[in-house]
Amino acid sequence: MAVAVSVRNVKKTYHGSPSIDALKNISFDIHHNEFFTLLGPSGCGKTTLLRLIAGFEDLTAGKLHLFEQNISHLPPEKRPVNTVFQHYALFPHMTIIENVAFGLRRLGKTENEANTAAEKMLELVHLDDFATRMPKQLSGGQQQRVALARALAPQPKVLLLDEPLSALDLKLRQNMRLELKRLQRETGITFVFVTHDQEEALAMSDRIAVMSAGKVQQIAKPDEIYETPANRFVADFIGDANFYDASIVKSENDVTTYQIGNGVHLKGPLRPNMPDNAKVTLFVRPEKISIINFSTLELVSGEIKDIVYLGSSTDYQIELNSSLSIVVRNENQQNGLAIAKPGDKVSLRIDPTSIRILESENS
Amino acid sequence: MAQKTDIRTLPGFRLATIGFFIYLYIPLLILVVFSFNATHSATVWDGFSLNWYAKAFDNSDIRRAAWNSLVVATFATIFATSFATMAALALARNHQIKHKPVFNGVLMLPLMVPEIVTAVATLTFFSVIGLSLGLGNIIIAHTVFCIPFAYLPIRARLHGMDKNMEIAAQDLYASKWATLRYVTLPLLTPGIISGAMLAFIISIDDFIITLMVAEAGSTTLPIYIYSLVRIGITPEVNAVSTILLCISIIFVTISYLVEKKR
Repeated sequence: MAVAVSVRNVKKTYHGSPSIDALKNISFDIHHNEFFTLLGPSGCGKTTLLRLIAGFEDLTAGKLHLFEQNISHLPPEKRPVNTVFQHYALFPHMTIIENVAFGLRRLGKTENEANTAAEKMLELVHLDDFATRMPKQLSGGQQQRVALARALAPQPKVLLLDEPLSALDLKLRQNMRLELKRLQRETGITFVFVTHDQEEALAMSDRIAVMSAGKVQQIAKPDEIYETPANRFVADFIGDANFYDASIVKSENDVTTYQIGNGVHLKGPLRPNMPDNAKVTLFVRPEKISIINFSTLELVSGEIKDIVYLGSSTDYQIELNSSLSIVVRNENQQNGLAIAKPGDKVSLRIDPTSIRILESENS
Repeated sequence: MAQKTDIRTLPGFRLATIGFFIYLYIPLLILVVFSFNATHSATVWDGFSLNWYAKAFDNSDIRRAAWNSLVVATFATIFATSFATMAALALARNHQIKHKPVFNGVLMLPLMVPEIVTAVATLTFFSVIGLSLGLGNIIIAHTVFCIPFAYLPIRARLHGMDKNMEIAAQDLYASKWATLRYVTLPLLTPGIISGAMLAFIISIDDFIITLMVAEAGSTTLPIYIYSLVRIGITPEVNAVSTILLCISIIFVTISYLVEKKR
């Protein structure tokens, strides 16, 4: 697969007192035609990386290539990439069509050519009726689509999107997710999408790079990120999880028994090449556990302490012993009734294959 | 809980406000009213007439002085606004400039220095270098003290501008010049117009510096009015002053409206 953006040993330091290492030696490739997401909490360096690719900031060290062209030190106007800004940054003194045609005009297209192409882009985002309006006459969602059309019109080799949905309300945000996916498919342009919203990232991306503290923690497909996170940070940031420090009790037939607390055992997979008495971190997603009637035959039992109703599902906080608890998520049934109430004694069924063993964090 | 007191609810507020506005505007009102007086008195009302305006417009000295004022104010405005725009852009956007507060302070200095000091200094300076350009001398002097007035609204506008506008322009293949031309300057225009209006009215009613710097034949309107007053106050002075007042009001209003419209 052709490489659209190659990031090699990229570092970015903001000098000052104190100096901040926003990016600490990052390397990875973004493939051609890919919907690639940079995901992480604020301050993790994801926006800095996007701005470096766009050329709004200078690299401290390392190299950036765009389809094998070294763009490390090109000014933004020389880079065939365009950006969709978080707050749209539409030019308020220009009409919608002038906004969308702006990039093409600067590339030397005649007014006619630029306007024709701009009209096509507006059609693509369903705003062809708004060409002669001014930006402030449009709603937030419409402005967002104009920003998209404006950035796509010059047919950039890579489109950079800086948290473009964060200013929209929930329903609009969900519609725009589908819209963005469609645009990416129809234009065939590589999208690099920055967000702190894990749901957004999982829903849209071909691949996700999870970042924290200026480093890439994991790059993988959405399901791999969710199911087999590389470390505790990724597991914790994406979705919800129960974490336990555990020690090995015994191993037999590919199943290992771990002790996660005083008298509480869990069965999980065997980690290869693990020394006896090794300390590991286990985690299990709350929706992978089922609540069953109390039975002394089951390995894990406890008492329900708290119930949190979430609409489509319900979270049960279950105390395993005085210092250990677990969260179980249950899909709500047709009648919407809770399957247990606080104070109930229940047992839990946890498939050993849904237990994951984590490595220590990459920091 | 301590509640914030609205100053408008305090006793005597209304009275103080009315008193303040009377103090401020009654003299102006009297001046305007007596410019329409029928007789030759600037203090006793004797019926409505536009005579004094006709007389003022008929007076070739007044016309020449008004023309001089207009020329000086126009050129001083153009120069001062251009310099102020460049200074504001450089100080706001060029990150290589060090000691920006110093430059800012120097730009603002004409606001702080007593006008009479600037006037004497300018006069001395011109005579030392032997500069004698007629109205040109006045234009140069006016440009200097108009710069801070033009600078303030332009800087305010520039600081309020979303920096992403210029970044977005560059992202869309605009060179530095194209960014300035198609994005920065159009967005800055209200500030520039507002600054120019202020510079214009500051220039057109300047007295002290102009009096010092003006050579024979380059009398401006305020100086001419002063010379008329020394002979004796007639409604003709009131008429000319009223016209000047109207010009000021028009320009300040435009400046305000342009600045308000974002």
